[in-house]
Amino acid sequence: MSWWRETLKGSMENFSKQTRKLQKDMKKSTDADLAMSKSAVKISLDLLSNPLCEQDQDLLSMVTALDTAMKRMDAFNQEKVNQIQKTVIEPLKKFGSVFPSLNMAVKRREQALQDYRRLQAKVEKYEEKEKTGPVLAKLHQAREELRPVREDFEAKNRQLLEEMPRFYGSRLDYFQPSFESLIRAQVVYYSEMHKIFGDLTQQLDQPGHSDEQRERENEAKLSELRALSIVADD
Amino acid sequence: MAQYHISKKQLKAEAISEPHEVSVTDNYFQTQWLIWSFSASFRKIYMQEGKPNLLDMGSLMIKPIQRVMKYPLLLCELRNSTPPSHPDYRALDDAFAAVKDINVNINELKRRKDLVLKYKKNDEDESLKDKLSKLNIHSISKKSKRVTNHLKILTRGESQVKDNTFNREEKLFRALEKTVRLCVKNISLCLQHIQDAMPLALQSVMDLQEISYNKDDEMGYSETLSNALNSCHDFASHLQRLILTPLSALLSLFPGPHKLIQKRYDKLLDCNSYLQRSAGEESDLAKKEYEALNAQLVEELQAFNQAARKILLNCLCSFITLLRDLMLVAQQAYSTLVPVPLLVSSISEIQNQVLEEVQNLNCVKENSATFIERKLSFEKKKPVQILPEMPRQTDIHRSKLLSTYSAEELYQAKRKCNATQEYDINLLEGELVAVIEQKDPLGSTSRWLVDTGNVKGYVYSSFLKPYNPAKMQKVDTENRFCDDDFENIKVDEQIFYAVHAFQARSDHELSLQEYQRVHILRFCDLSGNKEWWLAEAQGQKGYVPANYLGKMTYA
Repeated sequence: MSWWRETLKGSMENFSKQTRKLQKDMKKSTDADLAMSKSAVKISLDLLSNPLCEQDQDLLSMVTALDTAMKRMDAFNQEKVNQIQKTVIEPLKKFGSVFPSLNMAVKRREQALQDYRRLQAKVEKYEEKEKTGPVLAKLHQAREELRPVREDFEAKNRQLLEEMPRFYGSRLDYFQPSFESLIRAQVVYYSEMHKIFGDLTQQLDQPGHSDEQRERENEAKLSELRALSIVADD
Repeated sequence: MAQYHISKKQLKAEAISEPHEVSVTDNYFQTQWLIWSFSASFRKIYMQEGKPNLLDMGSLMIKPIQRVMKYPLLLCELRNSTPPSHPDYRALDDAFAAVKDINVNINELKRRKDLVLKYKKNDEDESLKDKLSKLNIHSISKKSKRVTNHLKILTRGESQVKDNTFNREEKLFRALEKTVRLCVKNISLCLQHIQDAMPLALQSVMDLQEISYNKDDEMGYSETLSNALNSCHDFASHLQRLILTPLSALLSLFPGPHKLIQKRYDKLLDCNSYLQRSAGEESDLAKKEYEALNAQLVEELQAFNQAARKILLNCLCSFITLLRDLMLVAQQAYSTLVPVPLLVSSISEIQNQVLEEVQNLNCVKENSATFIERKLSFEKKKPVQILPEMPRQTDIHRSKLLSTYSAEELYQAKRKCNATQEYDINLLEGELVAVIEQKDPLGSTSRWLVDTGNVKGYVYSSFLKPYNPAKMQKVDTENRFCDDDFENIKVDEQIFYAVHAFQARSDHELSLQEYQRVHILRFCDLSGNKEWWLAEAQGQKGYVPANYLGKMTYA
């Protein structure tokens, strides 16, 4: 019986730690996501506010398109974070609020166990003594005291043994929807983003160019620049 | 040649035998010996060809220039010996002018290159000593002249030499520099954030999956996790290579032209200062220098700006494609994790249900921490509320009203009314009042004069509704709200029973036995907390926790 108790208690503690850590991690994760989209918006915002774009139509159109995309990314990200907040972080918090009560129940059971043991020891002490009149009377009294305490302990114990596994098991039903919602939110977000940036690449100057081509072009331009006489030799 | 080989062998032998004695002077002599012996062989060849004057590369290379410079002289001579009336004179004149132009251009081009080379030296290499050594009367006077000219231009807008093309290119140059710098900064920051955020998100998904499913249902997600993380790394390295490296390299190229632009401005100031005065050799030189530098800069700045712009555009394009690919990878990674799609709306239902079940577990209910919390808030707030501005209505008052006034005049307070104006009275919810007048002294019909059996005063009529003791209204056990519209409830309807025994811990609370019937006087406590109800049983009144009570249903 106590082995079962110990493993249950162990897994409960583990579980409680897990939920707390998860709550913190999710908060950190959503904060990091938001920071990312904010910095992305800054990129395009700084580009747009530059006088460079004023004369240059091509650059202006590209930068405006980029800016729109970044702003949409920020909006979708915010929505995703809200969704996660609602379907994952809040439920985590709510579920976690049950733990204090359970801990209290465990503590009460411990207390009851202490009382039980104490009174049991008293009874046993009197039982071992010589059976004289006053001793018998005391024994009887001790036994009377013991009975309700024992019943109380057994009730508490039974309750916990019955209900803790149920609680532990119910986590599956509780968290599976959260998990699914989290995954879904991420999938929706990333597919939207993929679409947005895919559309953006279509609007680019030379959508046909691959990254390698651009890299080579950049290298060529850089060497061209270095060949200019006005550029300092490094 | 043979001599050379032998001597080299000799030197080598010497070097091996006495390694530390090959001094600097020995090296010097060795190189000089090599040069002399090579030139000796060349000289022999030139002697054979009949051109004894060519001794070194320098003299060879200057040959074309010397030839170009000879033409003006030749043509000049020709022109001078041709009478103006000769038909060829015109052609000769033009030819002479053209060749002179060529020479001037070559000179100016050389001047440009020389100036640029002179001024593009890296200033950081100069120590303070070097800088101080450069200071002399001449340079100081030059600098002070320039400063005055600069101020003159700023304040008086004097006539000055202007070049709009240059100004335009310079503006573009500066704008490009700022853009590239900001881009590097912002894109690096964004990359950092992405590198922080994506692994965190993936990790929390994994953690959530762990507590949502049993160990046996392990769905092998660790592979997905590592794949996604790898893609994240790839993204970072690609971004570095395709965008940040070129842009940083570009950024490092900007300071060079910067210096030259500064120098050009200085020359411009010098030129301006001579504009006012008569032309002389000095002013000529200043003008020439300025124009040379200007021309060089204009030409090359245009090329620079175009190339820089192209690089910038390319980097932006790469950035966009990289982001697109990253999003795709992330989408695919998460898509493999989806078990079974669920509707959003059902999530909260399912969860609330489970949560309720959990909270109804006896071990949770009995030991609810909020039990204690409630108590605290209850006790804390109560003393404040107890200040009676007006004693609560008692049954005596109510019966007095009922007997004194007729049924039509009796109203009940829908909700708690707070006195706001003079002569207003406070009412608690459900209290009985008799309306004396349906208007106030100012004639407004929204404020009524009422009698509570205890005091008389004004209340807003919207807070009152006709008291109808005969009507039986259903009270939803789910909606135990104090602020709700409480329809008239028959007194018997306020009877509940204790589902569970409750031990009062203070005077404010009422002890209950299991299945004991209680009469509820109020469905919230004095601070509005809906979880404690004021109950009455066996002549005693006190607060009991609402979730211990169940409604009595009549057969």
